[in-house]
Amino acid sequence: MSEFLLQNCWLIPLYGFIGALLSLPWSLGLIRTTGPRPAAYLNLLMTGLGFIHGSIAFTAIWFEQVQPRELVLDWLQVADLDLSLAIEISPVSLGALEVVTGITLLAQVYALGYMEKDWSLARFYGLMGFFEAALGGIAISDNLLLSYGLLEMLTLSTYLLVGFWYAQPLVVTAARDAFLTKRVGDILLLMGIVALSSYGAGLTFSDLASWAETSPISPTIAALLGLALIAGPTGKCAQFPLNLWLDEAMEGPNPAGILRNSIVVSAGAYVLIKLQPVFTLSPVSSVALIAIGSVTAIGASFMALAQIDIKRALSHSTSVYLGLVFIAVGLGHVDIAFLLLFSHSFAKALLFMSIGSIILNTSCQNITEMGGLWSRMPATTTAFVVGSAGLVALMPMGMFWTLQRWLNGSWEISWWLLGVLLFVNTLCAMNLTRVFRLVFLGPPQPKTRRSPEVPWPMALPMVTLTIVTLLVPSVPQSWPFWLSLTPPLELTNALDIELGIPLLIASGVFGLVLGATIDLRRADARPTQTFLRFWQDLFAYDFYIAKVYDVTVVWAVSTISKITSWIDRFIVDGLVNLVGWATIFGGNVLKYNVSGQSQFYILTILLAVSLLLLWSGITGQWSAVISNWLSSANY
Amino acid sequence: MVSTTLEPSKHKLAEYIHLLESGQALLKDSPEHVLEVVGILHSYGVVLDAYSNNLCYIADNQFLVFFPFFKYFNGEVSRERLFHHWWHERINFEYAEYCMKAMLWHGGGGLDAYVDSPEFREAVEKVIQAKFKNNWVILGLHNIFTEFLPEQMRQMAYYSGLGQFWRVMSDIFMSLSARYDKGEIKSIPDVVQHILDGLVADANKPITYKVTIEDKVYEIIPQSAGLTFLMDTGVPYVEAIFFRGTPFPGTISYNAQAYQIPHDQARFAYGALYADPLPVGSAGIPPTLLMQDMRHYLPEYLHEVYRKTLREEDDLRVQICQTFQRSMFCVTTAAIKGLAPHPLNTTDPEEQKANRAYLENWMDRFVTSQILKANS
Amino acid sequence: MLSALIWLPLLGALAIGLLPGKTEANRFRSIALVVASIVLVVNLLLIFQFDPNSAQMQFVENLPWIEWLGLNYHLGIDGLSFPLVFLNSLLTLIAIFATNKNIERSRLYYSMLLLLSAGAVGAFLAQDLLLFFLFYEVEIIPLYFLIAIWGGKRRAYAAMKFLLYTALSGILVLASFLGVVWLSGDSNFDYESLRGLGLPVATQLLLLAPLLVGLFIKIPIFPFHTWLPDAHVEASTPISVLLAGVLLKLGTYGLLRFGVGLFPEGWAAIAPWMATLAAISALYGASCAIAQKDMKKVVAYSSIAHMAYILIAAAALTPLSLIAAVLQMISHGLISALLFLVVGVVYKKTGTRDVDSLTGLLNPERGLPITGSIMILGVMASCGIPGMVGFIAEFLVFRSTFPIFPIQTLLCLVGTGLTAVYFLLVVNRVFFGRLTEKLERLPQVKWSERAPAFVLTALIIAFGIQPNWMVRWSEAQTTSLATIDGQILSQNSQKLEISELKNNFTQNISTPQIISTEMSQRY
Repeated sequence: MSEFLLQNCWLIPLYGFIGALLSLPWSLGLIRTTGPRPAAYLNLLMTGLGFIHGSIAFTAIWFEQVQPRELVLDWLQVADLDLSLAIEISPVSLGALEVVTGITLLAQVYALGYMEKDWSLARFYGLMGFFEAALGGIAISDNLLLSYGLLEMLTLSTYLLVGFWYAQPLVVTAARDAFLTKRVGDILLLMGIVALSSYGAGLTFSDLASWAETSPISPTIAALLGLALIAGPTGKCAQFPLNLWLDEAMEGPNPAGILRNSIVVSAGAYVLIKLQPVFTLSPVSSVALIAIGSVTAIGASFMALAQIDIKRALSHSTSVYLGLVFIAVGLGHVDIAFLLLFSHSFAKALLFMSIGSIILNTSCQNITEMGGLWSRMPATTTAFVVGSAGLVALMPMGMFWTLQRWLNGSWEISWWLLGVLLFVNTLCAMNLTRVFRLVFLGPPQPKTRRSPEVPWPMALPMVTLTIVTLLVPSVPQSWPFWLSLTPPLELTNALDIELGIPLLIASGVFGLVLGATIDLRRADARPTQTFLRFWQDLFAYDFYIAKVYDVTVVWAVSTISKITSWIDRFIVDGLVNLVGWATIFGGNVLKYNVSGQSQFYILTILLAVSLLLLWSGITGQWSAVISNWLSSANY
Repeated sequence: MVSTTLEPSKHKLAEYIHLLESGQALLKDSPEHVLEVVGILHSYGVVLDAYSNNLCYIADNQFLVFFPFFKYFNGEVSRERLFHHWWHERINFEYAEYCMKAMLWHGGGGLDAYVDSPEFREAVEKVIQAKFKNNWVILGLHNIFTEFLPEQMRQMAYYSGLGQFWRVMSDIFMSLSARYDKGEIKSIPDVVQHILDGLVADANKPITYKVTIEDKVYEIIPQSAGLTFLMDTGVPYVEAIFFRGTPFPGTISYNAQAYQIPHDQARFAYGALYADPLPVGSAGIPPTLLMQDMRHYLPEYLHEVYRKTLREEDDLRVQICQTFQRSMFCVTTAAIKGLAPHPLNTTDPEEQKANRAYLENWMDRFVTSQILKANS
Repeated sequence: MLSALIWLPLLGALAIGLLPGKTEANRFRSIALVVASIVLVVNLLLIFQFDPNSAQMQFVENLPWIEWLGLNYHLGIDGLSFPLVFLNSLLTLIAIFATNKNIERSRLYYSMLLLLSAGAVGAFLAQDLLLFFLFYEVEIIPLYFLIAIWGGKRRAYAAMKFLLYTALSGILVLASFLGVVWLSGDSNFDYESLRGLGLPVATQLLLLAPLLVGLFIKIPIFPFHTWLPDAHVEASTPISVLLAGVLLKLGTYGLLRFGVGLFPEGWAAIAPWMATLAAISALYGASCAIAQKDMKKVVAYSSIAHMAYILIAAAALTPLSLIAAVLQMISHGLISALLFLVVGVVYKKTGTRDVDSLTGLLNPERGLPITGSIMILGVMASCGIPGMVGFIAEFLVFRSTFPIFPIQTLLCLVGTGLTAVYFLLVVNRVFFGRLTEKLERLPQVKWSERAPAFVLTALIIAFGIQPNWMVRWSEAQTTSLATIDGQILSQNSQKLEISELKNNFTQNISTPQIISTEMSQRY
C-alpha cells in the first residue's frame, strides 16, 4: 500500500489541481442559487487527501528507507530534442511536498474563517488549489523545464490571487506589478534554460550537475548563464531589485499571504538550491548571489523597521530571510539554505496567521492604531510570540538552531557573513518587538477596543501551526544535512566560529532591547526632526525604488513604445502608403475617404493584371512575356 | 405650509430637507418605489427573522463554546440539514454575525457602556466559573489572558442584543408587507409611518440577556440595567450598520500607508446608505450575503420587476441591493422622524428652527451617501 | 478527398448565392454552418487516414488542367499543410458561428466566407505553383469584400489598403514562380519537379527576393505590416478571426513550402538577415502594441510580433526549428483567434474597444466575467505561460534558433516578455476595477456567444499539455524539409547530425552533390 502510494506520489500536486477544477461550477457562476462553500469543502478535501497521501509516502521513504528514485514522463520528443519531465522521490522532495500540503491545508482551513463573508470563495479556493498544485509540483520536480513551467504557474496564480479583489484600485496595479516583476525574472530564466538546453545540458537537475562538471563553455557565457538562472528566483523570492511586488502583493487576501510569504517565495529559492551546481561554473554567479542576498537582507531589514502596515512590516522580513538563503546558496552552503527555508516558512506562516486574525478583528492594518490586544486574544498572541521566537535567533527555536548549525564549524564562515547575520538578527528582533509592543501591549485604542478572539476555523490552524513551529527546532538539530550526506568541514577553533553563537544571542538580545525601548509612533504622529523623517520615509517607501523604476524602466518602455508607435503611424505607414503606392497608382487611391468607385477601379486593375498574366500564358505568349520581362530586368 | 415661515434651506441636500419637512421621506414617493420597498422589506423581514432567531440561539446556547460546529443549526441537527448546510443551501448567518461584529466594534449606546461595567464583568465571571467548573486548562488560560473570555461574552451580549433588535424589525416589516397586500399601504409616507409606529411602540422594550448553565439561570444583562430597544440597540445599530459600516476589502485598500481608511471611526462611511451597489456579487463585498439571502424570499411581484430588466436575473443581487438601499432610506426616515426634537409637521417657528438644524445635521452625513442615486 | 475540402465550400457558396427567392438570413447561416461542419468532419476523417510518419505528399490528386500552360490540378497534403488545413476548417466554422445572426446582406456574406475558406484551403493543398497562386489570389477577393462591406467606419480605406498590399504580394509571388519555371526550362509548374533544381545561389537569391517580399507582406513582417492593424480594426470579429488565424499563415506556409523548398541554398545564405528582421519585427510589434489604446490593435500588433517567431524559426532551418515554426503557426492561429473572438464580444456588448473607456468588466453581475476570464487565459497563453500551447511553441522556436542566431533569439525572448506588458496593461485596465457608470447597463452574453471561445480555449490547453498531438503530424515532413537544406546550413553552423538525414533518401532523387556523397557512404 505504502509502496503504491509512494510510486504514485506525483499525483499529490494533482489533488490541488483537481480541487481547482471542481470549484469551477461555482467560480464561473454556473451554480448561482446556492452558495460557493461546497467548492471550499471540496478543495479542503482534496488538500487533505493530498496531505494524507504525502504523509504515508513520506513515512515510507523516511522510516522504511526505501531507495530514492526518479519517475520520468516522456513529455515531448521532437527532432533532436528530448523533453522529459522527471519527478524525484526522495526524503527531501517528499519532505518539501509535505510542508507545502501541510501549510496549504492549514491556510485553507484558516480561509474558511477569514473569507467566510466573501462570495467569491469558490474562486479563491480554486486559486489556492492551483497554487498548491504548482508548489507541490516544484517540490518534487527533478527537471528544470518542469520547475520553470510550475514557477510560471505560480506567477500566474500569484497574479490571480493578488488580483482576487479586482475591483479595488490598488489591487489593479499590485496584481499587474506582481506579474510583470516576476515575469522579468522568468524571461531571463527562460533565456538561461534555452541556453542550457542548447549547450547540450540535459534539463534534469542531476544532468545539470554532471554537465556543470564537464562543461565546455567559456567563462563569459558561464557568467551570463549563471546570472540568467539567478534572475528567475530573484523575482520569485522578492530579492532586490525585483523585490517590490511582495510589498504590493499584500493587497491580496491574507490566507494567500500566508502561503506567499512562506512557501511561495521558498519555491523560487528551492529551485535556486537545486541549480547550485550550475552556479559553480562561474565565480560571477556566486558573487551575484551573495551581493543580491546581502543587499536585500540589509535593505529590507531597514524597510521592515519603518513600516506601519502590519502585513508589510512582516513581508519585508520575508525578503530578508530569503536574502540569507541567497547568500547561503552563493557560498555553496545548500544544506543551510534548505534549513533556512524550512525554519522561515513555518515561523512566517504562523506570523501571518496571527496578523490575519488581528486584521479581521480590527478592520485595520495600521499598527499605530492598535494596542492592548494580548489579553483578549490568547491564540493570536501566542502565535505571534512563537512565530517571532521562531524567526529571531535568540530563543532555542527554529532559526536559532539553523544559524547555530551554520556557525558551528561545519561550514566556512567569514566575518562579513557573521556581520550580516548579526545585523539581520538584531533588526529582525527589533522590528518584531516593535510590532509586538504596538499591537499587543499598551492601552487598547478605539479600533482594538473590542477584539474577541477569532472563531475556530482560524484559531485551530493557528494553534496547530504554533505547535508545529515549536517542534521545528528538532529538524536542524537532528538532521542538519539534507543535501550533502557528510559534514563538509569540522572547524571548531576558528575565532569567528567560537564567537559566532554568543554574538548571535547577543544580537538577538540587543535587538529585543532596542525594540523594547524605542519610542513608538502612535497614529498620525510623525517625527518632528527632518533628519529622522527623511530616513523614516526613505525606509517606509522602500528606498523609493518604485519611483526609481517609474523614471527609468517604466519611462523607457513607455517612451520607446510611443516613439515606435509614432514612427509606425507616420513614417512606416506613411512612407509605404504614399511613396510606394502613390507612385504606382497616382496618389489618389489611399486617401482616407476613398469612394466606392475608385475601389472597384483598383480591384479591376488588379484582377486585370492577374488575368493578363494568365491570358498571356493561355495564348502561348508565355516565354515571350517572360523573356521580355527578364531582359528588361536582368540584362 | 412650512416654508411660509422658514427660509428655504441652503444645504446641498435642501431638497430632501424640504421633503422631510413636508411630510415626505428621503425616498421620493412613487408607486414603483412603494412596490419595490415593500417587496424588498418583505424578503428582508423573512431573512431578519432567521438571523434574529439564530443570533439569539447562539447567544443563549453557544456561548463560550470553542468549537460551535452547529451554531447555525438552531439546535436541530439532522443528516438532511447537514447536507443542505454543506451544499450551502442555507441562510448566510455569517452576515448576521458580520453586522453584530460591526456593532460591537463601533460601539455606542447603552449596551456598549454596560458591557464595560463592573456589573457585567461580575456576572460574566460567574458564568465563566460555572461553565468551566472542572476545566483547569481553560481557567488557567483565563487567569493569564484575563480579557479573553469576558470579551467573548461581550460579543455574546451583542449577539443577543442584535437578535432582539432584529426580532422587532422583522415583525415590523412582515406586518408592513401584510398590510400592503391588504391594500393599506399606498405611498412611501405610509411605509415610513408604519415603521415609525412600530419603532415607537417598542421603543422602551427592555434588552436583556441571560444564560442557563446546568439549569441555573445567570442574568448577564438584567432588566434592571435599563437597556431599551430603541436607544441602546436601535440607534447604535443605525449608526454602525447604516452609516459607518466597515470597509469592504473588495473596494477599499487596507494598506496603512495608503491611508484610505480614516483613523477616526466616526468618519467611516461604508454603511448601508453609502455602499456602492454595483460591486455587490463581486469578491470582498460582504453585503452580497444578505442580497443572496433575500433573493430566495422575493415576493413574486418584485421578482417580476427584476426579471423584466436588461440583464434579467443575471444581476439580481445588484438590483436587490439597489432596492434595498431605497428601502433603507425609508427606514432611516422613520428613525429621523422618531428621533426629531419636535414633530416634523409642527407649526411653531422655534420648533421648526430646531428641526431644521436637526435635519441639516443629518443631511451633512448624507452628502456622500447614495441618496441621489437611490432616488434616480 | 482533398478536392472535397475545396469544392464543398465552393458549392456551398454557390448554393447560398443562387438559392432562389428571398430567404431569411438564418437559412444562409444554417447552410454555411452545415457546409463548414461537413468540411470539418471530412478533416477529422483525414486525421484517421493520414500517415504522420510519411514525409510524402498524401491523398495526391493530379489532373492535368491547362496542359500547355503547365498548370495541373495537383493537390496533396503533408505534415506541413495538414495542421493548417485543419485550423482553417475549424476557424471557418467558428467564424460562421460567431457571426451576428441578423447580419445585413447575409447571402453575400456567407457565400464570401465560404469562398474565402475554399481559397485558403486550396492554397494549402496546391502542389502546383500556379495553382497555389490562383488560390492565393482567389482568397483576396472575398476578404476584400468582407472587410469593405461589413467593416467598421474606415472600412473602405482598410479594405483598399489590404487589397493593394496583398495584390502586390500576389504579383511578387507570381513573378518569383514564373522566374523559377522559366529558369527550369520547363513549362510545368509542378512543385515536386521544381524542387532541387540546384540553381546557382545568385539566381536563387534573385528569385527568392520577390517571393520573400511578397510573403513578408502577407505574414506580415516589418516594414510591410501596416495594412494589418488597419484591416483588423475595421474587419468584423469573424473576419479578424480568420485573417489572424488562417490567412496570415498563407505567408508563413509559403515561406516554408516555397522559400525553403525551392531555394534552399539562397535561403540559407540570407537566413541571418531574416532572423534579424524577425527579431526587429517581434520587438517592433510588441513595442507598438504597448502604445495602442484600441484592444483590437493591441492584438493585431501582438500578431505581428508573434508571427515573426515563425520567420526566425524558418530561418534557422533545422528539423527542430521547422517543426517549431509549424507549432507556432498553430499556436498563433488558435490564440489570436481566441483573443479576437473575446475582444469581439467585448466590443459587441460595450460598443467600444477603447482601453481608456473600459474598466471593471469582470464584475460578476453587470459585467462580462466569463468573457474576462477567457481573455485573461488567452492573454496568458499569448504571453507563453506553460500549460498552454503558446509556451511549447515559443520554447521550441527559441530553443531551436538559439544555437544558430543567439542574439536574435534573445531579442525575440525580450519580445515575449513585452507581450506580458502590453496585454496586462489592457487586461488590468479593462477588466479590473469598478465598472464605470456608462458600462452599468451591458446586455447579457449568451452561451452561444461564448461557445466558440470555449472550443479554442480547450484546444489551447489540450495542445499545451500534450504537444505531441500537434507535433506528430508534422515532424516527418518538417524533418525532411530541413534535412537537405540543413546540410547546407550546417556548413555554416556545424549543427547537422547524420541521423537527421535518415528520412530523406527515397524522396529527393535530385539531391545536391553533398548529400549524394553521404548517401553513397551509407549504402
